[in-house]
Amino acid sequence: MNGDDLARLPEGARDVLPVERSELTALERSLRTSFASFGYLEVRTPLLEFAHEMDRAQDGGVGRAFRLFDDHGRVLVLRPDLTIPVTRLVASRFADHDGPVRVSYVGARLRPALPGKAQPVEEQQAGAELVGLSGPAADAEIVALLIHAVRAVGIADLHVAIGHVGLTQAVLAGLGVPDDAVASLQAAALTRDLAGWREIAQRLDLDAPSRDLLAELPTRRGGKDLVQQIAAQVPASAQCCDELCATLDLLGTHGVDDAVMVDLGVLRDWGYYSGIVFEISAPGVPRPIGAGGRYDSLGARFGVDRPAVGGGVWLDGLHQAVNARVQAPTFREGVVLAGGLDSDIALAVRLRAAGVAVVAAPTGTDAEALATIDRWRYVVTPASGALTVLDRSTGERVESSDVAEVIKSRA
Amino acid sequence: MICVPRGALFDETVDCLERVGLDVAPLRDLGRRLVVDAADDVRYITTRPSDVATFVEAGAADIGIAGTDVLREAQPDVYELLDLKFGACRMIYATVAGEDPTPSVLEHLGAVRVATKYPNAARAYFARTGRVCEVVKVNGSVELAPLVGLAHGIIDLTATGRTLIENGLVERDEVYQSSARLIANRVSHQVKATIIDPLVARFAEAVS
Repeated sequence: MNGDDLARLPEGARDVLPVERSELTALERSLRTSFASFGYLEVRTPLLEFAHEMDRAQDGGVGRAFRLFDDHGRVLVLRPDLTIPVTRLVASRFADHDGPVRVSYVGARLRPALPGKAQPVEEQQAGAELVGLSGPAADAEIVALLIHAVRAVGIADLHVAIGHVGLTQAVLAGLGVPDDAVASLQAAALTRDLAGWREIAQRLDLDAPSRDLLAELPTRRGGKDLVQQIAAQVPASAQCCDELCATLDLLGTHGVDDAVMVDLGVLRDWGYYSGIVFEISAPGVPRPIGAGGRYDSLGARFGVDRPAVGGGVWLDGLHQAVNARVQAPTFREGVVLAGGLDSDIALAVRLRAAGVAVVAAPTGTDAEALATIDRWRYVVTPASGALTVLDRSTGERVESSDVAEVIKSRA
Repeated sequence: MICVPRGALFDETVDCLERVGLDVAPLRDLGRRLVVDAADDVRYITTRPSDVATFVEAGAADIGIAGTDVLREAQPDVYELLDLKFGACRMIYATVAGEDPTPSVLEHLGAVRVATKYPNAARAYFARTGRVCEVVKVNGSVELAPLVGLAHGIIDLTATGRTLIENGLVERDEVYQSSARLIANRVSHQVKATIIDPLVARFAEAVS
């Protein structure tokens, strides 16, 4: 096979082979357990959505997405985001639920690759949305849930940077920053261009302390002290600051405040988020492994005006972070049974009933070679009445008539 | 881990790092090495200027120094923390001396053929000015292109403008101004906040 034969996938698409798939499955299972422990109910939205429905989420539409036509010529998209479809689902299917609605999801979002960037087209994401509650307690629940979920998969050393779109907007309004400058600042924040933000701030006609405060705003990081300081400097932002402080206190009660830092440079997309915004990072993974925030105005765009906060993690990033720590087991727990495909089916049936995974090999083939290539731990060969069990992890051969018992004693 | 650009920005970068108070002795005595460790526990990796952003974006370095030209062209997903105020140069549009051929080319051919190392900058500039260009990507000696008929004009970086004059080219417009920037990996910026924030403050002080 030459290189061309291997390149049979579109740019940014990739296969997942058994070892990785099993590790990802374990991650998904753990995340589902965490979401369920907070009472979040899992839903699934379709891969195909109407483009005009998704475009309602944001002025200017959802942006990058694979688009296609249905048989009536209507434009469809492969879902480019999970929060938007879940919001649509909650607005339409839970419209008469008195709330709060707690839903979770595990699924893929698809976005065409940007030219020249090695980005995956399909990103598996797991997340939770809390719809119908505003205020610090709901914000804290989502952040605490995600920290709990990330820790539960074995990543203790995680960092959650929390910003607040409402707070930043209140500071800008309180300082009297003109609208066109707000738009430029927003563009700089979106690309994390803090140097550009500083240049824009310094060109504004403000008094010196206000200008310095504005110029350094997205570089400010710390804890409650920082937030209280901002509230004192810009009274217009006091309400948002109080809310953020309350959220931080509640995160302390949740027992997760050691992972949390206020970072007023974390703003993500202003057109979408309205309150807290956060990014979750883990050492060893170059991009954040999770993100989220409060998006109170999104529900109204789908006809049901309810506050909402949510967030998610990207499974590939999480997997990368976990993999940096865990050594994969060398052997798979299971038996390659010589003759299990044809002459010894009855034995295969008995072993499976006893809870042993059985790989059926045809009579007369090299069962051990198959076990080696797929890394199965045991090889069972019927030999003159008795059965030989080879434990490949030790190299021992045991003669026994009760294979299930031998395997259980070694587990 | 700091990523430092070799080439034109190198000397000024090392001077800047020294003003910040970092141990730059191994950088001064680099030789052919690409990675060096300093006494203050900083590891320096040196790359082509256009690769700094790539290394930082991928987390191979926590912070780095890159020109605006590189950042605008590659649009890496990194934090742009600080304008370091050195390495100042300008991205310009230039054509052969004499009458500017651009209006006539546009009138007759519809599109200007532009040679450049910066295709994104070229496309963005012409789109912004309501004109159409056809980009010819070259990797060096950009000034040659209009002289031998490969292109009508060039989009290139210039510091003093001397190479332009020596090749009989004239600047027609400024596309943008460029300078060295301090950039940081998104995750390092969060995970190593307690190291990076004081360091950025020292950089800010050194360049003010």
